[in-house]
Amino acid sequence: MIRAKKPVLATSLLVLSAFAGPALAKTTVDFTVAEYSSKTGPYFEEVAAAFEAENPDIDINIEVVPWDTLLQRLTTDITGGTAPDISIIGTRWLLDFAEQGIAEPVDEYLTPEFKDTFIDTFMAPSVIDGKIMGLPVAASARAMIINADLYEKAGVSPPTTWDELYEASKKISELPDTYGLGLQGKEIETDAYFYYALWTHGGDILTEDGMSGLDSPEAIEAATLYKKMLDEGLTQPSPTNYSREDVFNLFKQGTLGTIFTFPMLIPQLQAEAPDMNYQVLPFPEKASKATYGVTDTLMLFSDSDVKEEAWKFIEFAYGDEWRSKFDRGEGFLPVTKNVAAEEYFTADKDVAGFAAGLPYAKFAPTIANWEEIADTTVRALQQIYLGQETPEAALTAAAAEINKIRGK
Amino acid sequence: MPALPAPNVHDGSEMTSFSGLKPLAMILPGLFLAMFIIGYPVADLAYTSLQEVSRFGKLQGFAGFANFAEVFSDPLFWSSLYRTAIWTVCVVAGTLLLSLPIAIMLNEDFYGRGLARVIIMLPWAISLTMTAVVWRWTLNGRSGLLNATLMDVGIIAEPIEWLAEAQLAFTVEILVGILVSIPFTTTIFLGGLSSMPQESYEASMVDGATRWDQFIHITLPLMKPFINIAIVLNVIYVFNSLPIIWVMTEGGPANGTDILVTYLYKLAFRFGQLGKAAAISLIMFGVLLAFTILYVMLVSRGDRQPEEVEEG
Repeated sequence: MIRAKKPVLATSLLVLSAFAGPALAKTTVDFTVAEYSSKTGPYFEEVAAAFEAENPDIDINIEVVPWDTLLQRLTTDITGGTAPDISIIGTRWLLDFAEQGIAEPVDEYLTPEFKDTFIDTFMAPSVIDGKIMGLPVAASARAMIINADLYEKAGVSPPTTWDELYEASKKISELPDTYGLGLQGKEIETDAYFYYALWTHGGDILTEDGMSGLDSPEAIEAATLYKKMLDEGLTQPSPTNYSREDVFNLFKQGTLGTIFTFPMLIPQLQAEAPDMNYQVLPFPEKASKATYGVTDTLMLFSDSDVKEEAWKFIEFAYGDEWRSKFDRGEGFLPVTKNVAAEEYFTADKDVAGFAAGLPYAKFAPTIANWEEIADTTVRALQQIYLGQETPEAALTAAAAEINKIRGK
Repeated sequence: MPALPAPNVHDGSEMTSFSGLKPLAMILPGLFLAMFIIGYPVADLAYTSLQEVSRFGKLQGFAGFANFAEVFSDPLFWSSLYRTAIWTVCVVAGTLLLSLPIAIMLNEDFYGRGLARVIIMLPWAISLTMTAVVWRWTLNGRSGLLNATLMDVGIIAEPIEWLAEAQLAFTVEILVGILVSIPFTTTIFLGGLSSMPQESYEASMVDGATRWDQFIHITLPLMKPFINIAIVLNVIYVFNSLPIIWVMTEGGPANGTDILVTYLYKLAFRFGQLGKAAAISLIMFGVLLAFTILYVMLVSRGDRQPEEVEEG
């Protein structure tokens, strides 16, 4: 199917032009879109239709791919020589694409006015060796959400520090069929669930000299705290059977007092647990304030033959009305200044709660082999949660392995 | 067979013309097609495994056996290999042990046999991935159907987290693997059973054989070729089967349910180590090829002797 795409398009174009006589030959821009939600595909089709109406000589061919298979799909397409012209990718993959010469630097396309529309914090992760390798297309920051009803029932106030969260979780776990903290232990972003604790304890994924920070005292302290809460029954049992969605589902059912999550959960909560009183709060602190900032990047492929046309579409799609619609529909934080200034994003307390962390947000480091490093971290965490290894032993081994992967 | 002389054929001249180049020439097109379809990917894989490969599959130059050295020094490869052996043996043995009695039962004439056959075959109609997804939901600790049922019936008091620990998760996955392999294997066996000569059974009944005697001395020996083909095909399918383990646990927790093919998938499509992944694929191909050849040799050696005795 993938391989057949281009010839089929080419033939259909041939057939079209044969019928239309001397009509305009259309240029096709292939755009791979990551599927954030069921709204993503229709939204981009709408943008493309509006663009095509203004530019009848350009055809935008949108292909929606789920996140889970996106990297595999792009790898196969690139290997097979059928890569798209533009694609949404996770910024954490950008370095791999840039190093292999697959991503096209966009500096020369990016006019100063266009560049100025972006919020600098979100532009920064796309800059590699001084070159802008892509544009931020979606951004989110993480935060803590508490079930205020459970907190009230247990007679505790919302926590601001880890000690308070620990004490509050104890009280909440005493209520029947409830647990203080939801702990994720399986599949995508299991490592992120740990980074929240790592950063707020003062640790980091990489230390200043570029070595893994997993064997630092702060990291071990953070993991020990999670394990202690698990052992004392303050989290749901057997976290290694709970993926991100499983934990969120428990929260929606009113079983959990506290979870760490992204803004996209808010619309789900409002739809699926409309009676729940929830609050969006900053992460508990120990040594420092932190949140996880995540961006996705719109990347231009260096092999593309239609870069000019693709860029024209990109500029169109970053128009304020489109961005505003996208960010609201998907529940993202705005990456452009004009949208960020809209009342919706400044007045809404939920969105504001997530946006509050942006000044001190940490991003996943742009380093090669990120997925493998994340997997090593997840393995160590699972060993800790299962009780196969102590936090110290598992994290020290993981740090050594990560340093080896990084060639340090 | 073509090499054998044909002494008991009357029209010798016609046969000798077939024993020359003609039969060879006739299988050539098929052989070429098979070589192209099977041989090209294998050759490409072998070539890739000897190259340094970039994150996105671009070849960067000859690397010798570096990819293989990396694979062999990787403890996760060895533990996955070990688990692949357990997975294959358990699933195939379990499938055979269950499928044969099921096939014998379904071969009997009873009221509603058609329906029973449909029910047994039904899982076959659903894609492996969907089956695995359904099982993942069913086995969910807090909202899964299985725990809810067991707790309602009073067998367990607390929910069991079926997929939280590697050992239990792997056992469950093996059971699901057996379940989805049964329809295919039963079909092979049913085909075999329907071709059993009824006279042998009738004759043995006259001689006073019990049903068990019939099973051991008539059914099993006559079913041998069908059992053999079921073993070979199942080993090949099960050894290479990704969806069940991938959907249910992604090889986790802590790589505790990784078999070679899930580990390979991670290496290739998550970590982008396509060279190493190509090396593992080639090793898997080699293992399967060696197994098949060895097994076919063992089987044909066992078969030939009695035949020779009979003919002699």
